[in-house]
Amino acid sequence: MDNARIGRLSAAAGLVAILTHGTASAATQGSLGATSSGSISIGASVPNRVQLTGLADVSFTNQDPSTPAANAQNVCVWSNTSTKGYNVTATGSGAGNAFTLASGASNVAYSVEWAGNSGQSAGTALATGAALTGLTSTATNATCSAGASSTASLIVKIPSANLQNMQAATTYTGTLTLVVAPE
Amino acid sequence: MVVAIDHAASALVNCGPGTRPHALRNARLRPAGRAAAALLLAVLPFASAPALGASNKVRISNLSDAPFGTLANLGVDAIRSQNICVYADTNTNGYNVTATGTGPGGSFRLASGTRTMAFDVQWSSSTGQNSGIQLAPNVPLTGQVSAASHQSCSNGPANSASLIIILRSSAISSATAGTYNGSLTLLIGPE
Repeated sequence: MDNARIGRLSAAAGLVAILTHGTASAATQGSLGATSSGSISIGASVPNRVQLTGLADVSFTNQDPSTPAANAQNVCVWSNTSTKGYNVTATGSGAGNAFTLASGASNVAYSVEWAGNSGQSAGTALATGAALTGLTSTATNATCSAGASSTASLIVKIPSANLQNMQAATTYTGTLTLVVAPE
Repeated sequence: MVVAIDHAASALVNCGPGTRPHALRNARLRPAGRAAAALLLAVLPFASAPALGASNKVRISNLSDAPFGTLANLGVDAIRSQNICVYADTNTNGYNVTATGTGPGGSFRLASGTRTMAFDVQWSSSTGQNSGIQLAPNVPLTGQVSAASHQSCSNGPANSASLIIILRSSAISSATAGTYNGSLTLLIGPE
């Protein structure tokens, strides 16, 4: 009975020792012989990453106020998650990150749309600071230098009503920032 | 084996398998030493066989795992180099090394479920190296020479070769996020 009790205590102590010292090394060492063999374990963790490339500046020149202005561009979004999923958040350079262009104190609003595939002239409207989720990339390369050359569409629009409020021969400027995150 | 001659003794001592023989020349022995030498003459033949030539035995030791951890920058190569002990008791101290991975056909690949990521293996017959000769799976790299004088490098050089594991940025950046694991087996043969 005493021996059995000691055996159980020893086993428990051994378990505690293993837990205390963490995972033992898996490397094995060779012995002296006609040949000798050893082995090691190798491990690496690849974190979630995304990349947005292929962006181009947008310029509307000599825009007819009676016709809505629209510019669509193909961009590359790469995601290395298991689903290749991502979300996108846009912010403008207006007050409260609004999507507005400015010329001095004069402002004009524009809209931003996003499509999860390239070649689109319309997409889902974005609200400033609000992530559009559930998107999936088809990129096989971080910068689309191989495989698909682009994976999404960014569309910027200025409606006629807003164009008609702009002063002629005046340049309005602003900046749109896009943040892509993995999903 | 010890041979004693009068007050002076020349001795060739074989310390057993895994250690190169070394000579004790002209060691002057006191009477007590002569008695000890005589005792050794009686005992050593039973304790250790003399090595008149190389045993052609090899050993690899001092291997460590290669945990890369989280690869923060997917745009650069990740390199892990380690010094190891390769001992070769041959006439030239020569050896060859063959590496085998756990990928299909012994290829050098780590796995995360069904996904895999390739890695490179390089070898240098000197220590402290961050690059070496590229190994191909299952193909011996011949013509290597060891500087080790003890089978586990417990005497003489502490190590004698470098093993370099490289995760190329091209492989890292094209891999799906996750934890990848695998193992590498190294086989040493005498030359």
